[in-house]
Parts: sequence; structure tokens; C-alpha cells
Amino acid sequence: MFKKTFSGLLFGLLALVATAGAEGGIFPYETRVETLDNGLKVVLVPMSSGGLTAYWSIVRTGARDEVEPGRTGFAHFFEHMMFRGTEKYPAEVYAELLTEIGADTNAFTSDDLTGYHLSIATEDLDLVTELEADRFKNLAYPREMFETEAGAVYGEYRKNRSNPFFVLIEATRAEAFKKHTYGHTAMGYEEDIRQMPELFDYSKSFFSRFYRPENVVLLLVGDFSVEPTLASIREHYGDWQPGYVAPEVPEEPPQEKERRIDVAYEGRSLPVIWMSYKTPAFDPADVRLAASVLLCDLAFGETSDIYRRLVLNEQLVEFIGTQPPLQRDPGLLNVYSRVKDPEKVDEVIAAIDETVARFQSELPDPESLANLKSRMRYDFLMNLDTPDQVAGNLSRAIAITGGIEAIDTLYSTYDRVTPEDVRDAAQTFLKTSGRTVAVLRGAN
Amino acid sequence: MSGPKNHHSFLPIVLAISLGLLVGACQPGGEGPETSTDAVLMPVADDPTVSFALWFEVGSQNDPPGKEGLAFLTGRLLAEGSTTVNSYEQILEKLYPLASSYEIRVDKEMTTLTGRTHGDNLETFFGLLSDAYLRPAFNEDDFERLRADQLNYLERTLRYASDEELGKAALDELVFAGSSYSHPPAGTVAGVNALTLDDVRGFYDTYYTRDNAVPALGGGFPPDLVDRFASSIDLLPEGDPTALLPPEVKPIAGLQVLLVSKPNADASISFGFPIDLQRGERDFYALWIANSWLGEHRSSVSHLYQVIRESRGMNYGDYSYIEEFPEGGFRQMPPTNVGRRQQLFEVWIRTLPNEQAHFALRAAMRELAALVEEGMSEEEFELSRSFLSKYHLHFAKTTRERLGYALDDRFYGVDGDGHLARFGEMMNSLTREEVNAAIKKHLQTSNVAIAIVTGDAESLQKALVDDAPSPITYPTPKSEEILAEDEEIVVFPLTVAADAVRIVPVEEIFAE
Repeated sequence: MFKKTFSGLLFGLLALVATAGAEGGIFPYETRVETLDNGLKVVLVPMSSGGLTAYWSIVRTGARDEVEPGRTGFAHFFEHMMFRGTEKYPAEVYAELLTEIGADTNAFTSDDLTGYHLSIATEDLDLVTELEADRFKNLAYPREMFETEAGAVYGEYRKNRSNPFFVLIEATRAEAFKKHTYGHTAMGYEEDIRQMPELFDYSKSFFSRFYRPENVVLLLVGDFSVEPTLASIREHYGDWQPGYVAPEVPEEPPQEKERRIDVAYEGRSLPVIWMSYKTPAFDPADVRLAASVLLCDLAFGETSDIYRRLVLNEQLVEFIGTQPPLQRDPGLLNVYSRVKDPEKVDEVIAAIDETVARFQSELPDPESLANLKSRMRYDFLMNLDTPDQVAGNLSRAIAITGGIEAIDTLYSTYDRVTPEDVRDAAQTFLKTSGRTVAVLRGAN
Repeated sequence: MSGPKNHHSFLPIVLAISLGLLVGACQPGGEGPETSTDAVLMPVADDPTVSFALWFEVGSQNDPPGKEGLAFLTGRLLAEGSTTVNSYEQILEKLYPLASSYEIRVDKEMTTLTGRTHGDNLETFFGLLSDAYLRPAFNEDDFERLRADQLNYLERTLRYASDEELGKAALDELVFAGSSYSHPPAGTVAGVNALTLDDVRGFYDTYYTRDNAVPALGGGFPPDLVDRFASSIDLLPEGDPTALLPPEVKPIAGLQVLLVSKPNADASISFGFPIDLQRGERDFYALWIANSWLGEHRSSVSHLYQVIRESRGMNYGDYSYIEEFPEGGFRQMPPTNVGRRQQLFEVWIRTLPNEQAHFALRAAMRELAALVEEGMSEEEFELSRSFLSKYHLHFAKTTRERLGYALDDRFYGVDGDGHLARFGEMMNSLTREEVNAAIKKHLQTSNVAIAIVTGDAESLQKALVDDAPSPITYPTPKSEEILAEDEEIVVFPLTVAADAVRIVPVEEIFAE
């Protein structure tokens, strides 16, 4: 039924590493992909899993889709409403049924997706399929419940706001994006969260436009039997009516000039530098974009020159790191660092600039590049032990591209990256004129 | 779609609490490690990866007075410092292509060094790992780097970046004042400032001994690795440090309150009291059932969550615990290797507006009082028991997690098939009568320690001491049922003596 057993997966790992670029993708499990007539894509990944199954509903809607004014944070808020039940299974019944079977359930919202995930005993798969299909088709909640939940979301904002990184990222996004919805975080702006209790009618429209089969991918990973599972999915989801209305997400105009902001934090904190470079939308076949992911680690990773200098030798910073660009629309490549001496912020920024300049003018060491490719493949494959890990590692690619093929394509693209591609990525993406530099300082 | 290891999108947040992640807790009632060859083994024949763990029976409870933070810094120097064979820089370079690493968790009673690698890289990895515990260099550069990180964690991250973690640490300080458990595993500001490299070397020599270590192996390790691992531990110096007694906990008299005063903060509440229960005991599992009903971690079905969040929308979540559960904001399942011989029953009320703190505290205490008074109904008991019968299967899905539980079994002296197996058995055999008896025996509301991080300490102090009504208003309409219940909560008696409330400015907590 499947290509490799759990152990086979890991046994095959080194061979895969050794044959990078050979035929066959990196993803070691056989998958079954089917699209129902209503547009719902179903991805099944059977694997040996000790009787557990991960059941993920990936809605390809996130903070990115919050295009109307005053609606920031709504995708995340709506995620909460998805636990509010239906006529057939009211919230307390839904919760009780999942409690009886000891399910581990949760959900999250990011820029590009809203993910609903359950870890369950495989023997309970039929029941869970029915419950999940029912809430995605027939969600119904009273106004009072909607309004109360808005208070809980505000509580979530309250707990986050003491985190300096939350404050810093919120401010940097707002500066970096003047038009596109990546300008706000998935949490949303405080003033919009305050208004949420009044948006009951809007929430119905949100559900009607985005929670449609064409905009959702169902991802199941575990030791289930494929055919009966597919039959159950067809039975419960088959009558879900299509009707997805894609939002008109505004395009961000090109950034012509560097932007700099100072961000105040009301607690005490060492200064944190957050540099955001504009990058294109994710495309797993884009060699230059793949090269920028490798560039992040070569230039700023634990074995980079700047890490050695700033973290280990001179000890000017506590840490330095990056977030590579993996977003549905043109997004950001972030470089960040926490500086130990507030007087040395400019020195650290200068060191980052020197690093960027060097990677723009020099080719990286081929051996370092090879080591990095090895590391990335090991890292991917060694984190596919459990159904939850597999589903979690696939979810973002599925949300952005709508399919699972992107994983194999992406790792195959990584394999093709040359030192010249890395230099090209540095020249193309790490432009001073296209970046936003934010420095957070605490009230020390 | 994962990139290189340090590229995860939530890294900044993880970094913000990274030191916190290294902090654990400790404690067992059981026997500790006996000999260095007494390894915990968990072979998984087909698994081509190998998981290592090495537990040293030492933790922040062993910090000498005035040197709080020594166990933590010593541990970090092992895992994130140079050895006499390789500089830390060289270690990073050698681990890099393997996508492998080793980490340490230093808690109050346990210190655990763990790592995982592919079998094909076993020799390289085992060499680096064994150097870490056998041949630490303890050089000045590493010492200064990691000590500065630790100080920054105490002075800024713990005090300012997460009020919820701060509240929980404050509760420990309040309950365990004067004992070896009172300070966070990362220590105190004065303690860390006082540390020297000689302190670290001395601590290592005393506690990182062959008789104080338990090795554990999981996954597809070759048979000879067991002996090689054990032999390497025999290279540690001899010595069997005197085991400390469990911390002496002074009885809590009435309601004792610590208010951590922090400008502009909302309110984050933790309260609880010591309980005399350990993994392995029948009553422990009985109380787990009751606690799961009252406040299962991050479960929307649990009762506190229903009352405070679900019905009233006051905050993001409300949970309770019967054993140590660090980093609750970042994990779903219980952690391992934070064993402690002295556990707390603890309620965690997540951040809410200051003006609702008194009401929320009353609401939670009222629910606890009702549980103690009335026990669980048959229906509640059956639902919780059914839930846990399967939910505990999620606790340890990977070999590495199962290895963690196996070491904990050793710590707590849980024999046979261990805690997780016993958990499943107990869910099938415990009765409602036993659970309700355990509630009566171990839970109460008369003598409780309460820690609150708040931006309005003075008002809260006055309200608590006056036992003043705590009216609540909502931005949206509530049902008559809720409003009727509110009338009872608003005046639910909480008797707090004037001298039972202490206000500590945030910049002074964990100072010394």
C-alpha cells in the first residue's frame, strides 16, 4: 500500500541524501491524491503509526485574505468560531464526542492558511470524518457565542503583547507593506480586534466565501486503509457546495528606498534588529528563490563567519538568524539579531551589511553548500517520524501551492542550486533599497 | 518545506523563551540511578536513528546559597560550550552536515543531556556527545557568553517578555520560599553574577560523576553501543554526591498572596499548593482524572476553561496541573525530565484585564471548592476517564519522547512497564469513588498560595484584603444563567489577611 514502512523511510534516508538529484522525490511515502467533484482536494499519506492518524483540514485562507479595512485578524478569529458547532452537532456535543475518543485537537492561523488538526486513534476515523465534514459544511453559531468569543481573542492579544518579538514584527510588517495584507500579522490590529463583537453578519459572509471545498485541502496521515477512508470522505464531503470567492489582494508596489523605524517596547529588553528584504512569491521551481533559502543559512547560520564573529568571538549579540521567504505572495526574507550592548547596534548592522556585500561579490564555498544540502535533506527526513510531523511539514506547501508535489519539486530545486545561484540571489534580493530595518529598544 | 534547522518561522518566539526551555523542574520519590551501567534501553529494531539521553541526578536544588544558577550554567556549558578536543565553533561545524545536535535541560532535580542522529553518523555524533560530558573545556569565552545569556533571561525575558511564565515562577518562589526549590532553575541575578569558572568546575566534579549518571539509548542502536556508552561514563570521576532530601515546604497559612507589580501589565494569575503525590501511586492517577475534568491543559472542554473563557470570554485559557508543566504556552503534551519529589497542584489563569483579576480568581477558587465539596458526577467521571484512556497515547509518540518517560520512571521509581502503561491500566480500573476520595484527600481551598503579575497591584491588594465585591461588566450581553452565577462569584468569600499580601516590584523579583 505504501512505498516504504516507517523504518524503511529512515533506512532509505542516506541513500536519498547520497543520490540527491536522482530520479524520485525526497518525500518518502506513497501518497494518494484525489479531487472530489466539488473541488475538494484529498491527500492521503498511509504510514505505520502505532494506531494514530493525523487529520488536517487546510483552508487556503489566512491573514493575507483580510483585504477589507478594519478586518485585520478576522481569519484567526474565525478559526475560533469553527469550534462553535452545527445544528446536528452543537458545540458542546462536538466537544464531548471528541473528548470521549481522547482526540488531541487544535488549530492555527498564519498569513497564508488556517489549519485545523486532530490527532486521533485510527479506529475513530469514521466518526471524525463525519464531524469534520459537518462543521465545514454546516457551521452555525448564535450571536451571543460569537460575541463572547471575541473577548477571548482579545485576551490572546493581551498575552502576546508582552513579547518583544510580537511588537517588533507587528511594526516591521506595517512599515514594509503599504498596500498588501502582509502588512498586518495574523493576530490583527488591536483596534480591529476590539470591533470584532460587532461583526456577526460579516462572519457569515466570511464563512460563505472562504470555507468552500475548492479552497480546502484535506490531509490525512496514518495507518488507515486508503479505499474505505476515501469512500467515507466522499460520502461526508461529497455534497459540500462549491462557491469560493477569491479575494482581490492588493499588490504591493515595488520598494525603491530603504525604510528604517525605531520600535519602542514598554518592558525591558536588549535591542533587537529586524531586517526585512522584499522577495518574490513562493515557487518551488524557482532556482533563485531556492538559492535565497540556502543563502540565509550560508550567510547567517551557525557555521557562518558572522555567527562565529558576533556570537562566539566578539560576543556582540546573543543570537543572529534568518527566516527564509516561503510565502504565497511576494513577501519577506528576514534577518534578525539581539544585541548585547545597546551602543553596538550600528556596528552589528554594519557587520550584516558587510556579510551581504561579500555574498553579493564572492561565491560561497562549494563544500559548505554541499554540507548545507545534506543537512537540509537529513533535517527534512528525520522529522517525519509521526503522522503529526508529516502533516505539519507538508501543510505550508500544500496551503501555498494547493498540492503536495511542491515538496519534491522544492528539494529537487535545492539540489540544483550552484554557488553562482547563491551569489545571484544575494544580488537580486538583498538590496538595501528593498529592505526595511527596524530596531526595537526596551524602556531600560 | 522545512529549511535549515534555524529557519523555523516561530524561531523568534522560541528564541525569546529559549532559556526558559532549558529550565525544568525535578523530583522523585523513588530510587535514583544506582550504577553507571544501569542503562535504560529502548531498542526499535528498524529505526536507523539513535536517540541518546544521559541523566545526572542534579539540578538547581543543588545550587549553593549565593550561587543560584550554577547548575544551569554548568549544564549549558556542557551542551553549548567547547570541549578539550574541539572548540564550540568546531563542534557546530561537525554537527552541521548531520542535522544533529545535543541539548541539555536543567531542572530543579534533574539534568538531562539528550541528542539524536542517524545511525550512519553514529561515530561522529557519539564522539562529540561523549566529549561534551567527559571533556568540557570550561573556557572563559564560553563562560562569559552563556552567563550573559542567562542574566539577560532573568533580568529581561522572564521579567518582561512573558507574564504567564513570570507568574508561574513567582508562585514557586512564594510556595517554596526558603527551600532549595524557591529560585528558578536559571537562578537569581545576584547568584549568576557571583558565579566563577572555578564554581562551575567544582560543581561538575562533584555532581557529574559515574555514580550519579544514568545513560539511556533508544532507536536502532548497535548492540555494542550499550557497553561503549556505559564505558564512557565509567571515565567520569568516582563519587556519589549526597542526595538531598525533598525541599522543606512550610505550611501555607490561609491565602497567601504575592503581587508582582509591573507597570502597564495586564493580570496573569497562578495559584496552588503542594500535594503529596507521585507518578506510580494509584491516587496520582485518580487525581489526574479529576484534574483533567477541572483544567486539562489547553482543552476547551475542561471546566475552568468553560467557566472563565467559554461562557464569559475573559481570557485565552484556564488550566490546572498536578505535576510540573513548564512552557505551557508552547506545548500541548506534558514534558519529560522535569521530575520533582515535591509537586504542586496549580491553576493557571491566562492574561486578562486587571479589573477582572479578582473576579477570575474568585471564579476559579469557587469551582475548585465545588469540586472538593461535591466531587465528580458519574457522567463527568466517565467522560474524563474515556478521554484519558486514549489521550495519553499522544504523550509520547517518538522514541525520544518515550526515552524521556523511561528516565522519568527511573526517577520516580515506577517499576514494571512504567508510568504510561500504568496510566492506561489505571484508566480502566479506577472508580469514581476512588477519584472523589482522592479529591477530598489532596485538594482544598483553605490554604493556597496565589501569585499575580499585575499593573495595578495596589488596587488589587486593597480589594483582596477587604474581600470587596468584584463586579464584572461585559462588552456583550450574557445569559441570565451566567449573570445569576456572577452574582455568587462576585461575593465569593476569599479571606486574605492584610499581612498575607506582599507586593514585589518586577525589577526586584529573582534579584537574589
